[in-house]
Amino acid sequence: MDNNEKQFRLNITRRHFLTKAGLGIGSAALGTMLFKDQLFGTSDAASVPLGIAQFAPKAKRIIYLFQNGAPSQLETFDYKPLLKKMHGEELPESIRKGQRLTGMTSNQESFPLVGSTFNFAQHGQSGAWVSELFPHMASIVDEMCIIKSMHTEAINHDPALTFFQTGAQQGNRPSMGAWMSYGLGSENANLPSFTVLLSRGRGNGQGVYSKLWTNGFLDSVHQGVVFSSGEDPVLYLKNPEGHDKESRRAMLDELSQFNAEAFNNFGDPEINTRIQQYEMSYRMQSAVPELTDLSKESDTTIKLYGPDCLVPGTYAANCLLARKLSESGVRFVQLYHQGWDTHGNLANDMRMQAEDVDRASAGLIKDLKQRGLLDETLVIWGGEFGRTNYCQGKIDAVNYGRDHHPKCFSIWMAGGGIRPGTVYGETDEFGYNITKDPVSVNDFHATVLHLMGINHEQLTYKHLGRRYRLTDVAGNLVQGIIS
Amino acid sequence: MNKHLSIISNIILALQVLLLFCCFADLSELPIWIIALGKLHPLLLHLPISLIVLNIPLYFITHGPNKPHNSLLIFQTALVYTALLTTTTAFAGLLLASNGEYDEETLLLHKWLSVGLAIITHVQIYSFQWLQKNQRVLIGSYFFTLVLMIVGSHHGGSLTHGEDFLDFKSEEKVISQFPVIEEKTTVYEAAVSPIISAKCLSCHNDSKTKGGLNMSNFQLLQKGGKNGAIFTAGNPDASMMIERMLLEMDDKKHMPPRGKAQLTNEELMLFAKWIESGASDKTNYHSLNETDSLKILADQVRGQSTNLAIEQTYTFKPASVSTIQELNSPFRRILPLSASSPALSIKFFLKEKFTLSMLEECKSIKEQVVEINLSGMPIDDKALPILTQFENLEKLNLNTTQVSGKNLGDLAKLKNLKQLSLTGTAIDVNALNSLSKSSIKTIYLWNTKINEADLASLKKNIPAINWDLGYIPDKNEVLKLTPPKPLNTDQMIIGANENIILKHPLPGVIIKYTTDGSNPDSITGATYKDPVPSSQITRVIAIATRPGWISSDASDYTFFQKGFMVDSVRLINKPSEKYNKNAQAVLTDLKKGFPEILNLNWLGYKEQSFKTGFYFKGESIKSKIVLSAADNTGAYVFPPTKIIVWGGDNPKNMKMIGSIRPDMPIRYRSNGVIPYIVPIVKGKYKYIEIEATNIQTLPSWHGGKGEKGWVFVDEVFFY
Repeated sequence: MDNNEKQFRLNITRRHFLTKAGLGIGSAALGTMLFKDQLFGTSDAASVPLGIAQFAPKAKRIIYLFQNGAPSQLETFDYKPLLKKMHGEELPESIRKGQRLTGMTSNQESFPLVGSTFNFAQHGQSGAWVSELFPHMASIVDEMCIIKSMHTEAINHDPALTFFQTGAQQGNRPSMGAWMSYGLGSENANLPSFTVLLSRGRGNGQGVYSKLWTNGFLDSVHQGVVFSSGEDPVLYLKNPEGHDKESRRAMLDELSQFNAEAFNNFGDPEINTRIQQYEMSYRMQSAVPELTDLSKESDTTIKLYGPDCLVPGTYAANCLLARKLSESGVRFVQLYHQGWDTHGNLANDMRMQAEDVDRASAGLIKDLKQRGLLDETLVIWGGEFGRTNYCQGKIDAVNYGRDHHPKCFSIWMAGGGIRPGTVYGETDEFGYNITKDPVSVNDFHATVLHLMGINHEQLTYKHLGRRYRLTDVAGNLVQGIIS
Repeated sequence: MNKHLSIISNIILALQVLLLFCCFADLSELPIWIIALGKLHPLLLHLPISLIVLNIPLYFITHGPNKPHNSLLIFQTALVYTALLTTTTAFAGLLLASNGEYDEETLLLHKWLSVGLAIITHVQIYSFQWLQKNQRVLIGSYFFTLVLMIVGSHHGGSLTHGEDFLDFKSEEKVISQFPVIEEKTTVYEAAVSPIISAKCLSCHNDSKTKGGLNMSNFQLLQKGGKNGAIFTAGNPDASMMIERMLLEMDDKKHMPPRGKAQLTNEELMLFAKWIESGASDKTNYHSLNETDSLKILADQVRGQSTNLAIEQTYTFKPASVSTIQELNSPFRRILPLSASSPALSIKFFLKEKFTLSMLEECKSIKEQVVEINLSGMPIDDKALPILTQFENLEKLNLNTTQVSGKNLGDLAKLKNLKQLSLTGTAIDVNALNSLSKSSIKTIYLWNTKINEADLASLKKNIPAINWDLGYIPDKNEVLKLTPPKPLNTDQMIIGANENIILKHPLPGVIIKYTTDGSNPDSITGATYKDPVPSSQITRVIAIATRPGWISSDASDYTFFQKGFMVDSVRLINKPSEKYNKNAQAVLTDLKKGFPEILNLNWLGYKEQSFKTGFYFKGESIKSKIVLSAADNTGAYVFPPTKIIVWGGDNPKNMKMIGSIRPDMPIRYRSNGVIPYIVPIVKGKYKYIEIEATNIQTLPSWHGGKGEKGWVFVDEVFFY
């Protein structure tokens, strides 16, 4: 405290002192009675995350391969021969039951059913049906748990994607990865605990926005950090031109002295957070180049993920990077691969998208497994909703389109805590409604948190006067997919 | 009466009037800080209780012959304070009750008993003088007060602690006894019947049949009670049993009744699911699928669910928190497996920070460590003697370390080791054979010297271990290379003397390329060695080749040298409002657009054609123009159907100097940016006007057939 400040603080009269003391003690006394929680903090242990799993976790890390744009369940894992038989016939109203439509097909006069142009076959010991588009994923079907009965509340990309990522359609809530970082803390203090990797396929794409990896109302250290494909994978991490490591170190040392002094004066914990963030960035300068260096990959690795894995910014390269990040202790690696929005030209788009993701997705599972990491890493593959069993636009011999469909879709999970080689849930023979074991997005979140050793009802954060959860007021554990 | 006592006595009188008034008023309207005073009730109430009890011995001590003259005053003081504290407590109690959170019935009793108590204690102050002659009535009234206080505060206690607080029976936990599951055990026997025995049978058995219901066997259960059947097989919603179980606790019909051991959620769900599945006593437990929710619930209720995380129990003591904190650093992370587990995991980060002593220091927690991850750290065989001291180690990751394997057999000393990862190490078969007596269940061997023949011998020698060789590329599978890329693909506009550099990320790749627009193959193309010199428009088509791989698709990039500078631009037809950012500048800003991001660096036209004029200063002779347009058939963006160029001194004095008709796509094709080169009559034009017409009717193969298409232009060059 400098002298001026001391003077200022001493500069009070007796009357001042008595008034202030009287009022102060009085209001403190009243305050303790009225606002006990705010004054002394709550004793509610559940509201303070420990930074470690509450109970023995099945998985330590998550890699989420988000297929943005919503891949059609009818061309991936939900085999519906009836649609082929009834190709071109009208969707019965008894099946649709007045389900709302998007603005893109609500003006359509008819809703002709359309079967998949791709063949399906059963694979592995589980006998799961997989479309011919995904031969590599089919080869690891016994590692996967395919959920065919996912459903969501949203019918358009942005709300659906936001719902999947944050547990609410509106945005402004923390993303899954941020919750994970908040609840479990970081494993590797040299890297952010939540990273985001973006790629774009050749199909019709939909955007992704930073609100999907936001920390929301949580502390900003939990925000997702984007690793981009350019020269600087992490922005602003490189030393400015003309600065070497030593001068950077010297600068940071000076700066942290200033910050430490500021902390002594004001005691704001955000200052300490800032000091730690600077230190982490400095260590990231060593950790990140090691991870993003692709020049030392063996031919086997390149064949495992596909030759694309050497081209930064592709899905395959992101899968390889995801494995390295996860291996290095990043809690949550979020990939987004755009281009699955097949309103028209589905046959071509699906084929191109599948080519881009099939080998690398399967390669990631195989790679984690052969390193002894699959049992502690949870991998999730899927989009934000499904696609309609009827055609959007014109059906012709070789092509068709499918609109958004929230009432059923397929995703798969593999690794830590997942019951391998299972197919969970069923849809009707039209591939329109769920007939068995529906899984909502909240259920999905509850289960993922459970696998990470967190009770979804107990990971909370108090904001705007109430406690929030990733699952908010919903969510049930899906026992059938847990090993 | 003493003056001080009479003041207090008057205060009591005032308070009691207020108290009686408050008994009938709605207090929840009061300001929050007054209401908050009610929270003092649990504190205050102990004072009158003590005093009322104390008054009785005090009476005997102060009354009788040969007592000091002021002894009566002491007793009187006690009475006054009893009344004061009783009244204050009752008042606080009323405030506390105003939030309405308490059971109405009990509250009412407690309230009136306590208010009555307050009034009686008050009356006792005055009656003290009058009744001095009738000591029996006096002492009787004190005993009555005591009894009233006990009854009143018992109800108060019930409000706070619950009615069954004093019920000793509820202390005994009701534990269901589940039979051992045998081959013929049914779901009913395994889970349903044990719960009934534990939680229903005490009232519904052979000797006591409440509601006419006997649940002691399945036949009687089916029969139901005096209200008929208690369940409808297949329909839990219509089953009385479930309905009763779901009723609110306060409901008189709630089952099991209040005060009895209640059903857990899982037990309730199990009953519902069992009824839904047909409520049969025949269904065999083993006939159910693992994912069947009835089986999952039965397992959960039986407490042997494999689905819920069951913590592995360790017998060792947890390490001290301070030891763990001291060892933790950004480069060595020690974490407990979970909040309640004493077991620890250690993981090391950043190989340049690693020293062997960092591992050695962890010996202070060697008992607790069950996982060590040294993946990628610069350790060699010297680390193994340290590692073997972690007696409870279960999981060891030595991936991509310099461990040679010569002392790998020492790991057999670790009797709890289950999983060993040796990916990317120099390990050999002999080293692995030395693990024959170890407890290890799985060893990961990808990317080591171990080949398939070695694997076969390992599997034969040590069948107890699951040897995982990982991914082995299919020898017959030939993969396709990715196309080569120029160094700067994001900047297709280059300087006059700039060269074009081609790159491929895979070592050993040979790049073949052409600049004449023809498709190169491994024979015809020029082999890329040095950067390619550029001309005005340089189209580089290149492929990557490598023995054992399929040659890549051709990458096709067109580079533009900066042409003649345009002085100003005149947009004759306005671009569509959505695609007109920086309208004046876009066409000559030397920035190329991407065919997918149409609202950046592009001008888009649909209702009118692209029609723009360009002014030049200087006398340069122009011979061609290049119009760069987007091609994104999926987004209705097509090539212009025709491009016409006029030239002259000014807009009023010009003539047509060139035109072309680009080819139209005949199916959906991949997105791109296409340069349309229009040769023009050579001349020193000061003004050039270009019109590029958008497609008026989209072809029949297109999703939007018959509609208008778009033209998107990002840049125009003049040479």
